[in-house]
Amino acid sequence: MIRRLRTIPPFQYVLVTAFTLLAAFMSLPIVFILNHAFKPQNELFLFPPRFFVQHPTARNFESLFLHAANATVPFTRYLFNSLVVAGLTLASVIVVSTMAAYVLAKYNFHFKQLILATITLSLMFAPETVSIPRYLIISGLHLNDTYFGHILPALASPVAVFMLVGFISQIPGELVEAARIDGASHFGIFVRMVLPLSVPAIATISIFTFQGVWGDVETSTLFMQDETMRTLAFYVNSLLSGLQNSVSGQNMAAAAGLLMFVPNLIIFLLFQRKVLETMIHSGIK
Amino acid sequence: MKSSADDAKRQARLFQLKRYGTGLAFMLPWIVGFCLFVAIPIGWSIFMSFNQVKVVPGGFKYDWQGFRNFRDAFLKDNVFPIELITYFQEMLLMVPIIVIFALLIALMLNQRFPGRFLYRALFFLPVIFATGQVLSELFVQGAGDIPFLDQYNLEPLVTQYVGGEFAKTVMGVLGRVVLILWYSGVQILIFIAGFQTISPTIYEAVRIDGASPWDSFWKITLPACVPFISLNVLYTIIDLFTFPLNPVLKHIKDNMFKVETGYGYSSALAWIYFGFVFVLIALVLWLFDRSMKTRRVRS
Repeated sequence: MIRRLRTIPPFQYVLVTAFTLLAAFMSLPIVFILNHAFKPQNELFLFPPRFFVQHPTARNFESLFLHAANATVPFTRYLFNSLVVAGLTLASVIVVSTMAAYVLAKYNFHFKQLILATITLSLMFAPETVSIPRYLIISGLHLNDTYFGHILPALASPVAVFMLVGFISQIPGELVEAARIDGASHFGIFVRMVLPLSVPAIATISIFTFQGVWGDVETSTLFMQDETMRTLAFYVNSLLSGLQNSVSGQNMAAAAGLLMFVPNLIIFLLFQRKVLETMIHSGIK
Repeated sequence: MKSSADDAKRQARLFQLKRYGTGLAFMLPWIVGFCLFVAIPIGWSIFMSFNQVKVVPGGFKYDWQGFRNFRDAFLKDNVFPIELITYFQEMLLMVPIIVIFALLIALMLNQRFPGRFLYRALFFLPVIFATGQVLSELFVQGAGDIPFLDQYNLEPLVTQYVGGEFAKTVMGVLGRVVLILWYSGVQILIFIAGFQTISPTIYEAVRIDGASPWDSFWKITLPACVPFISLNVLYTIIDLFTFPLNPVLKHIKDNMFKVETGYGYSSALAWIYFGFVFVLIALVLWLFDRSMKTRRVRS
């Protein structure tokens, strides 16, 4: 062990120290959110504010769940909706975007250039500005108050396709050709070769998509009139905006903040290994 | 003889058509979704931007206005042009800072040192906050500011060095240093992935030829990274442009639900904004394209 340490050049000591400092700085907000959620009421309003919790308590979560249990729609319903919507959206975005990106990267067909140009263009368009036409289309298709209303608008994600096209075009064309000569069907090539080879890119877009869907309140606000179809993000959001100036609800807000953050963290930790590992070990250049 | 050539040609055409067909079949679900929820709404909003949109019972009423909404945005609105210009100045400063910072961090993270997986994960973590609720709550708590700006009273100093017009912008950027750190996660990841595409044998070769690490950075790493730099610049511009706390977007959203301006006017604002960003992105693309071409000619 000591010999190993001795072989590390001094430059690396500097590097690691600098990184530790920067990383500590970057992780401050995480520490803050974690601590904030467990602070008892009197500590939340301490001035100057304390970073670390002195007497941790789970009261905040208790009052959050109790508050929700008293309402007409139980807390678990929001949670269930969120899980269903996030899961289905994630799966369908992955399938649809990889399919599209695969042919955009490896095939020639009509309007290909046009489609690529539209993808780049629509990346720049902020989604807020098209919310009203979207509402008209959703209600025209009678998708209000269904899970489709949550999922379909997120389905055709230009960002995902944009990133995947870049990645899949790096897969050597010879590999695809070879598979075709060996008698693989188009679908077989897609499932057996393109999907496994693009796992890192898929992991990356999964992280993005999940974050987008999990935190999205637009579909719940605009397309869902039935309270039982709305998601957790909407519930937390309405809770927070209802409590903007009140003192008594701040503890619930702190707990809800942690609740919104934790699934993101879990998804990230799940996929991040894949992202970094495959990026380094992938056989293709 | 002739017929067999014809046959072959027809077969080739058939093959081509089949290939095209497969391509289109794979694209189909995406195209349908895209048209329904992106393309048509965008087209609709162009149409609306030329109209005064009124909500009447049972739907919308459109009054054709021509370019009046666009004219009003610059001549009558006393908030929009100022916010637009300030935000663009800020963006022009932020983008290079973010990209260069990400490049430096990625370079260092690419070195071999104990526990670098952990550090890579840590630098990507802030991206998780970048969405929605958590970020805005952190801002409300004041976690985005750095206190030394006020403590040491930097503003007069900045004004003295860069001039009055830009002082506000520079201060804005300084106040968002924390944000810059948080926002460079994706860029760092893209750069690290980019470095993997350079084969280690090249570095070995130049080391044998006697190049220092400094030389090999400027002569090999940087040129090989040009496509990734351009990707990152684009990504950063788009990221900042659709940033949820962005003042211009907030103004657009406020106008959307005002009775006297309404959806038509806010669509027009959005399209002006879009136009500006489009010009910026086209410029960036053109610059990078040119630099890539000159490199190709030289090599």
